[in-house]
Amino acid sequence: MKKILVTFVLLMAFGVTLLSVDVTINNRFSSLNKTNDLKELSVLDVLLELGDEKPDHYLMRTNQDSVRMGYEIVHLGQLKDKSNSRLSKFFVCTDCHNEVIEVADLSTETTGDRVSYGVKNDLPFLPASTFYGMYNKTHWYNGDYSKKYGDLVKPTRDTLINAIQLCAVQCSQGRPLKDWELNAIMHYYKSIEFKIKDLKLNQSELNQLLTDLATHNTRSIELLKSKFKSINAATFGDLQPKQPDNYSADLKTGEYIFKNGCLHCHGMGKDITNFEFDNDKLTLSFLKSKLKKHNSYSVPYIVRKGTYAVSGRRQYMPQYPLEKMSNTQLFDLINYIKSKSK
Amino acid sequence: MFKKNIVLLVSVLVTGFSFSQDKIWDTFDGTRALSNHSTEMLFKKNLEFRVSHKFGDIAGDNGGLQNFYGFDNLADVRIAFEYGITDNINIGLGRSKGVNERTGVVDMFGKIRLMQQEKKGKPLNITYVSSLAFSYKDASTDSTSSNYYQTMTERLIFTNQLIVSRKFTDRLSLQLNAGYHHRNLVTYNDVNGLIFTGGVIRYRFTKTLGLITEYNHVWNRSKDTEQKNPLAFGFELLTGGHNFTIVVSNHKGVNENIFLSNTTSNWLKGQWRIGFTINRRFKL
Repeated sequence: MKKILVTFVLLMAFGVTLLSVDVTINNRFSSLNKTNDLKELSVLDVLLELGDEKPDHYLMRTNQDSVRMGYEIVHLGQLKDKSNSRLSKFFVCTDCHNEVIEVADLSTETTGDRVSYGVKNDLPFLPASTFYGMYNKTHWYNGDYSKKYGDLVKPTRDTLINAIQLCAVQCSQGRPLKDWELNAIMHYYKSIEFKIKDLKLNQSELNQLLTDLATHNTRSIELLKSKFKSINAATFGDLQPKQPDNYSADLKTGEYIFKNGCLHCHGMGKDITNFEFDNDKLTLSFLKSKLKKHNSYSVPYIVRKGTYAVSGRRQYMPQYPLEKMSNTQLFDLINYIKSKSK
Repeated sequence: MFKKNIVLLVSVLVTGFSFSQDKIWDTFDGTRALSNHSTEMLFKKNLEFRVSHKFGDIAGDNGGLQNFYGFDNLADVRIAFEYGITDNINIGLGRSKGVNERTGVVDMFGKIRLMQQEKKGKPLNITYVSSLAFSYKDASTDSTSSNYYQTMTERLIFTNQLIVSRKFTDRLSLQLNAGYHHRNLVTYNDVNGLIFTGGVIRYRFTKTLGLITEYNHVWNRSKDTEQKNPLAFGFELLTGGHNFTIVVSNHKGVNENIFLSNTTSNWLKGQWRIGFTINRRFKL
């Protein structure tokens, strides 16, 4: 008799739990009767509701304290109250990563788009991928990064936490992150994950999504995934790039890359690199005089190869893959340097 | 709420960024013009290791081929560590061989930046440097000597100076300095406190090569001593991470506590020398 009672109570409890979860989910999506409400939802939540699988780094909701801590670690390299040690003495994350959308069209993410959108919004032009939407990616350190980091990229390819850890230890030449720090960064990433509105769906696509959410139709999963890149591809360019066919110099693009790219880290007073310079004639003449060389003073070489960490000088420069700066844009930069140094 | 915070933080960062953009940097490349301080500072948490070296006389009695134009002799050498407590407060600790009777010298300094030149706004860099030197070698038994120390405090030398500079163009920077140099113990015919002013001109030919001239004039020297005013010409060669200066000077000392009052070399007698400084910066 006692056993039956216990079983009954357990079953009841289980049922109530199931019911309450159901209520929560229903509450989130059942009230969606306008596409405007839909736009505010996170892309991942909608994908999950449509039946997609949860990623390994899945968080149900953000914790605001963790988001703040993650934000501070990303920007300052440590918590604002300095209660943890600095992640790296050389870099903070924002030296190489933006935290906003970098293109007008997320589905293509072309290099031309990166420049025109970057000029319009005065964004830093950086070699690494933006953190905005990093939470929505499925693979990291893709493509040719295996040429730079070898087997180190293997555990990072499908696990975001490992990718963050590799970036901390290798790219920023810092210490490994502790679990709570990784957790805080993940919460921060979730706070800047893709929203439906970022994907710029048209009205008929929004209507379809609304219908599919109500009927749990999985066809919209494909629609959503076609609107953003699930991986950031990386192809390393030639160290001695050839001028593209039918090339005509765009000095405005060159100037933007020099000011918002090069000077982002090398600018005077930044104390990020050992080689600081300004947008002045002395610097540009110096860079021009080194263009023909095939070493790390030559702009095309350093853009494509970066530098490596060496004993005594552990901070180094990441390279721009072709997906972040096209050869045409690299020649725009070279021509800007040449034009200003006359 | 959080979004508001982010917006606030971003706007604060952006404003901070635009302020730093307005500042003028690199009036001089290093924290020294040649031998004396410049208005430049080390960034926070940066440690600089410096080695300054002066050879013997190029010509004259102690120079020439017999001494391989001074390269066989060591006039003075200073090895030092300098550190940025903040971007505007630096400290340093050095040890130099010393010159004449002032040998075995440990020096330390504190340096504070009071103003930094801006593109629109503040017109000058202003820095104040206070330094002291302490000679730890055994005292002389000759009561007429300047190292006939009777107490510890007699071994101390102080120099306080205000340095003002301006970068006029990308190529041309000028610096003026004025200060007070005090030796607690001097010979009977000397004066303890010296008032000095100085100037530096830096002209850059290219991004990595510049010419620097540095002169300091002491106004109240005792006429009974052989002291001369220190004058130096130098080239600076910049590479990533460190600068390298090659100097020709009459003074042997490489620390302001030494070269202001212990320069007795005469240019006209061939008593000038080659010197160099190398430095390396580390992030801590």
